[in-house]
Amino acid sequence: MSKLLRISPVGLRGVVGQGLTVTHVLDFASAFGTLLSAPGPVVIGRDTRASGGMMRHAATSALLACGRDVIDLGVVSTPVMQHSIGRLDAAGGISIGASHNAAEWNALKFLGPRGTYLSTSEAGELLDIYHLRKFDYVEWDRLGKLTEQHDAIDCYLDDLARAFDFESLKRFRVVVDCCNGTSALILSRLNERFGFRFILINARPEGRAFAHEPMTNAAVLGLQLAPLIEPLQADAGFLFDADSDRVAIADEKGQALSEEMVLPLLADYQLQQGPGKIVLTNLSTTALVDLVAERHGGIVVRTPVGRQAAIDALSAYRPEQVALAGEGTGAVMLPRFRFVYDGIASMLTVLTLLAQRGQQLSQIVGGFPQYSMLKGEVPLESKRLPLLFSGLRERYADGRQSTLDGLRVDWPDRWFHVRVSQTEPIVRVICEQRGEAPRALFDALMEQTRSLA
Amino acid sequence: MARREHLLKIGVSGIRGVVGGFLTPGLACEFAQAFGTYVGGGRVVLGRDTRTSGEMLEHAVIAGLLAAGCEVVRVGVLPTPTIQMYVASTKAKGGIALTASHNPPEYNALKLFNGEGLFFNQYERAELLDLYHQSDFNTATNEEIRGVSADFQAPLRQHLDRVLKFVDVERIRQRKFRVALDGVNGAGSLMSVHFLRDILGCELHAISVDPTQIFPRIAEPRPDTLGELAALVCREKCDIGFGQDPDGDRLAVCDQYGTVMDNDEVLALIVDAALAVTPGDVVVNLTTSTLLADIAARHQRKVHWTPVGEANVVETMLAVPTAIGGEGAAGGVIFPPVHMCRDSYIAMAFLLDHLAKTGQSIGQLQAALPRYFRQSGKVAFEHGRLGPLMQSLETAFPDARLDRADGLKILFDDGWIHVRASNTEPLLRIAAEATSAARVASLYEAVRAAMA
Repeated sequence: MSKLLRISPVGLRGVVGQGLTVTHVLDFASAFGTLLSAPGPVVIGRDTRASGGMMRHAATSALLACGRDVIDLGVVSTPVMQHSIGRLDAAGGISIGASHNAAEWNALKFLGPRGTYLSTSEAGELLDIYHLRKFDYVEWDRLGKLTEQHDAIDCYLDDLARAFDFESLKRFRVVVDCCNGTSALILSRLNERFGFRFILINARPEGRAFAHEPMTNAAVLGLQLAPLIEPLQADAGFLFDADSDRVAIADEKGQALSEEMVLPLLADYQLQQGPGKIVLTNLSTTALVDLVAERHGGIVVRTPVGRQAAIDALSAYRPEQVALAGEGTGAVMLPRFRFVYDGIASMLTVLTLLAQRGQQLSQIVGGFPQYSMLKGEVPLESKRLPLLFSGLRERYADGRQSTLDGLRVDWPDRWFHVRVSQTEPIVRVICEQRGEAPRALFDALMEQTRSLA
Repeated sequence: MARREHLLKIGVSGIRGVVGGFLTPGLACEFAQAFGTYVGGGRVVLGRDTRTSGEMLEHAVIAGLLAAGCEVVRVGVLPTPTIQMYVASTKAKGGIALTASHNPPEYNALKLFNGEGLFFNQYERAELLDLYHQSDFNTATNEEIRGVSADFQAPLRQHLDRVLKFVDVERIRQRKFRVALDGVNGAGSLMSVHFLRDILGCELHAISVDPTQIFPRIAEPRPDTLGELAALVCREKCDIGFGQDPDGDRLAVCDQYGTVMDNDEVLALIVDAALAVTPGDVVVNLTTSTLLADIAARHQRKVHWTPVGEANVVETMLAVPTAIGGEGAAGGVIFPPVHMCRDSYIAMAFLLDHLAKTGQSIGQLQAALPRYFRQSGKVAFEHGRLGPLMQSLETAFPDARLDRADGLKILFDDGWIHVRASNTEPLLRIAAEATSAARVASLYEAVRAAMA
C-alpha cells in the first residue's frame, strides 16, 4: 500500500494530485467551518508550496460558504498564524503546509481559538462531520467575506520583541538554513527591522523544489549549513522546516547537534528560570531531559508519541506550571512566547541562553554527559503486534515497564521504547544508554522483532 | 411525478442552483475541475456578476481550475459579454462566468465558454457533462500547479472600444441625450455609467448602479419590474431609459413617456440601425416577431429562424453570413463584429446612434414600425403528456404550415402560434402573433382549447 493520503485526528496530509485532492480540502474545510462554534473570523495561511495556492482557494470558499469571514495572511509560518488567531480574536484557523514533508506533499492543520491545535475529542468530531459530509452552508445573504492582511509577520515580530531582549541577541552572528520555507520571510524582516545579523541560506521562497528535504535533523544540518559556520565565524547555525515550527542546531565549530539535543538545551534554560516546573515530552525522547530536570528539581511528564497526545496532556496543566513541552524532532513550545511549537522562539531562547551564560554553544553542550541513542525500524504485520509486545514484556521483566505507547522499559542509565508508527505499518525501536551505545540490547530487540516479520 | 421546484440543475447548460444547500462550493469546484480537464489545461478566464455568492464560488472555481492544472486569469466583476470577448482576444483556452443571469439573487450558475469566447455548443456540453459524471479529472501535482493572475481593466476598455467602432460617437455626444439607467446593481453598473455619461456624453440619471449592493428589484428587466426606471424617465424628462439584467447581456428599453417597450420592437429598431451599417442576414429565434422579417426586407435581407436559446441563435449565425441576430422576448442583441454573444452595450449604442441620426424620438421610431399583436403565456403539463398535447394541436389546425425546429410553430398568412416545452421545467410556453388584436386573441384561445 503506497502512502499518498492520511486523514486522522491530526488533520489531512497527502501527496497533492495523487492522494490529496481539491475535494478533500474543500470537504475538510467545510467540516471545520461546521464544527466551529466560537464567533469571529477564521484565519488562513500557507507555506511556500505551489499547491498551497490551490488549497487556499478551496479552504476560503468552504469557509465563506459556512458563513465565516476569512482573513488570509498569505505565506506565513504556522506559529505566525497561531499568533494572529489570538491577535485577531479569530474563531480558529487553517494552516496549509506540510512542514517537514517533501515539496510534493501538503496538509491542512486545524487551529482553534487562541491558536491551539484541536484536542482529540474536537478532532474526532471534525472527522465525524467530514465523513458524514453534512455541512452547515448558509443562505446567499449570510455568506462570509474575504479580506487579506499582509502585516501578520510584523505583528508577530512586535510581540517577539516584547518577549525577548533583542538588544542582547543582536550581536550574535548566526547562519540559518531556511529550506526555502517561511522562516526566510520572518528572519529577513527581523534583520531589516531590528538590525539582527542572520545570514540566510536557501532563503528564496520556493514552491516546487526545496534545496533539500525540509527535515530538522543532524544529517540535513550537515548538508549545507554546518560546513559554513566556521568559515563565516558564526556563533551558531539553525535549520528550520518549511513552516518553521521545528528547529535543529549546529554549534560554532560547525558540529551538527543531534535533534535530540534541542529539548534538553532549552529545558536547561527554562528550568533555570523556573525551577521545579514540568517538562512535558514523549516516551521516545532522550533521558538527558530527565538528568537536566533533576539538576533543577524539575518534573518530566512523558506522553505517547505524537502531537495530539502532547496537546491533550498539556491541557491538564496551567501554563505557569510548565517549563516547556517538546519532542526529539526539534519541535518545542515555550510558555514564554505563545506556548505553541515555534522554531523561531526556540532559536531566540538558545541565543538568550548563550548571552546569559557568556559561553559558546559547544561548551554548554559539552557540559552535558554523553548519551548514545540507536534507532531502527522493522516492517511488521499489524496482527503480529500483540505477540511482539507480550514477548518483550516477558523478556525484559526486570525493568520498569510502561505500556502507554507500545512498550517502554527503563533501567538505571538505560532504556528502550518499541512502538508502532502512526503513519506506516512499521515498528520503531529506540534505545539509549548513558555513555556507550547499547548495541547488544538494540540488536536483541531488532532480532526479536524481525523474528516475527 | 409531482412538480417540484428546481433548486439545483446540472445539465447540458452547465450547473445552476440555489446557494446554500444546493449549489455548494464542492459542486462548483468539481464542475470547474471537469471544465479545466476538458479544455486541457492552459489559461482560463474567470469573471462574475455582483451576486453575494460570487466571491465564495469564485474561490471554489479557482481551486478546481488550479487542481486541473489550469492557469487562472481573474477579471473580477464584469458583464458576461465583456468576459466572453476577453477570452477570445487573449486566446485563452476557455472562460467561466459566475452568473445566474436574470434569476433571483439566491441563485448562481457557471456559464462556460470555449476558446473563442462562445457558449459551449451542444456537443461540447455533452462531453463536459460526461467528464463531470465520470469524475475523470486531471489532478495536478505540486510541480504542475499554476498560478492566478488578475486583469481588471483591459476587458472593459476592449469591449467598449469595439462597440464604439460601429456608431458615430461625436453625433451622439452632440445630442447630450437625457438617459435614465437602472443597472440592478449588477455587473454592468459601473461600466454603464462610464459608457453613457463619460464616453457618450449623456446627461445620465442612474439608479441601482452600486455593485456592492443586492438586487433592488426582480432581476429580469421587464415592464412589471422596471417601474422605478419608468418613473425616473418621466420625472427627469429623459429621452430614453435603459434597464439591464445582473450580467449585462440583456436590455430593456423605456420610451420617453415612461412606457417599457416591447422587446421585439426594440430589436427591430436595432436591427434597422445595424443593417444600415453592416451587410448580412438576420438570425432570430422562432418566437421572435414577424416584424423582423419586414425590417430585413427593407434592407433586402433574409431572416433565419432558429430554436429558442442564445446558443442556438449563435450556432446559426456562425453558419450563415449574418449582420445581426437576437432573441426578441429575451431582450438580447447579438452583433458579430463586436462578439458572437448577447450584449446590452452594442444595443444601447445602436439605439442612441439611431436617435441621433434620424433626429426622431424613440416613440416616433417605434410608431413608424409595422404593427403586430402578440400574446404569450405558459401552461404546466404532466410528465409524459407532451406528445399527445402537440398532436392535438396539429390536428386542430390541419391547413396551416408547420415548423418543427423547436416544439411546434403553426404558421398562417396573418399570424402564427409557437408552442414549445421549457428546457428546465415541465412547462409549455405559448406565443401567438397576428396582424390584429382580435385575431391573436382567437389564435391564443384556440391553442388553449386544443390543449385542454
